[in-house]
Amino acid sequence: MMSQASIDRSERPDNRVSDRAAESTFREVDDSDRAIPAIEFRNVTMIFDERKILNDLSFKVMKGETKIILGGSGCGKSTTIKLVLGLLKPDSGQILVDGEDVTEYDETDMMKVRKKIGMIFQEGALFDSLSVYENVAFKLHEQGVPEDDVEGEVRRMLRFVNLEDAIDKMPSELSGGMRRRVGIARALVGDPKIVMFDEPTAGLDPPTARTICELAMKLRDLEDVSSIFVTHEMNNLDYLTSEYAVVNEAGEVVFEKEGEKLCLINSKVLMMRDGQVIFSGTDETLRKADDPYIHRFLRGH
Amino acid sequence: MNIATRFLLELQEMSLLVGRAARGLFRKPRYVPETIAQMDSIGVGSLTIILLTGFFTGGVLTLQTYQTLASYGAVDQLGYLVSISLVRELGPVLTALMVTGRVVSAISAELGSMVVSEQIDAMRALGTDPIRKLVAPRILALIITLPLLTLIADVVGIGGGWAVSTFLFGLPSAMFTNSVRDGITTDDIIGGIIKPLFFAFLMGTIACRKGLKTEGGTVGVGRSTTSAVVMASIIVIIADFILARALQLVLGTQK
Repeated sequence: MMSQASIDRSERPDNRVSDRAAESTFREVDDSDRAIPAIEFRNVTMIFDERKILNDLSFKVMKGETKIILGGSGCGKSTTIKLVLGLLKPDSGQILVDGEDVTEYDETDMMKVRKKIGMIFQEGALFDSLSVYENVAFKLHEQGVPEDDVEGEVRRMLRFVNLEDAIDKMPSELSGGMRRRVGIARALVGDPKIVMFDEPTAGLDPPTARTICELAMKLRDLEDVSSIFVTHEMNNLDYLTSEYAVVNEAGEVVFEKEGEKLCLINSKVLMMRDGQVIFSGTDETLRKADDPYIHRFLRGH
Repeated sequence: MNIATRFLLELQEMSLLVGRAARGLFRKPRYVPETIAQMDSIGVGSLTIILLTGFFTGGVLTLQTYQTLASYGAVDQLGYLVSISLVRELGPVLTALMVTGRVVSAISAELGSMVVSEQIDAMRALGTDPIRKLVAPRILALIITLPLLTLIADVVGIGGGWAVSTFLFGLPSAMFTNSVRDGITTDDIIGGIIKPLFFAFLMGTIACRKGLKTEGGTVGVGRSTTSAVVMASIIVIIADFILARALQLVLGTQK
């Protein structure tokens, strides 16, 4: 992880990065439990209609790491992250979240695990009948948090995704990119240490897709969040594996390219095909892989 | 999977859904505002169609039975016949069918749309049980409002019968009202309230189950909505027969 000399945070504009983010960035990391993976799949198999959606899938996502899961449509990417949240159950194998085996957990037990995890759905999955404020505040309202505290937290989250102006709008009034960003704000309430992205940039224009990736990078580099980022878009892979977020001396979040100064070790790639892992490693090794399918996937022909 | 296995599986899933919804009612957080909002949408929202249905059903019942009763010289029994038909059968069944058309379809479509747009998954991911938040308030609101709507339909239906008998056939007003008062018993009214309680429970369960198991995008929403309305209507008619017989035995209204 990056470390940097102290910065006078009082000079930092409030709408740039959360207090917790800065603390997390500049704090000396000394967690003995960092050796425990945030997420671990052990030989997970899932069968649907006699077809193996996932076939003996095993991988780990370490603390503070972003695992980019690549693969074509129907290869089991979205199923994988739904399994982490217990929205689906595997036919065999084990799933561990924060070292806790959640495979056999029922819905009531899973509710406690889900509180640690934020999930960003493909189309945002905002509640149509609720405003942006109510969507982001959903979790806090359910927990019975006083309204004054709710508003502060909702505004903080909407500032993080740069959408505070849309607080009173209904989801139907938002563009696709705005919906995704509200979805991100909603998922980040309660500061989950694990975040799942299910194709968050699908169907978005390149600048908006870039914005979503920047949010994922901010979470990874400034908030020490472990995440799974499911995508089939190569732009996302390029951004997430070659750039990192830092807070500059003016207190603003900037994105720098990895190079001689720093090599990103907190982003790994997992490539899936027909429910199986066909590659696991860094983006550099992915680009050098011999597999013709990977070549076709990376180059588009 | 054969039909019997599918039926048993469906029955099991519905029982589990109801069990979880019922357990949810006794745990915190309690979704009282959601239940009240549903009562408003289901009860108050259905009032107009229930008033119209009740009034014209009572009216047409009088219209059709007047001639028959007149040929037997039993016109003084008109109020009794109309009211007993409404309170025991037509009120509960017609109200349930009208509410099925309006509410079961709406619940099924709403939950189905939430499933296909991943809103149900999002709710679960945010740590909220959709069965407690969405299913329990809807079933409870139906159970509370359907008997009330049925009572309203009964009263308005008898009013419709009285209006036709008085203004169309020129019978004395007291003849109709006395016949209603003398004919209807407390058991009839109790039976007429018990039925909608069961209907509401069945309708709510079917609507929520069909909505939540929606698959296949917007086409799937249409399919599950149609299937919910058809199934709920048929179940209401079948349950009506079973309940009518059970009430005859329990309340001793079998003549």
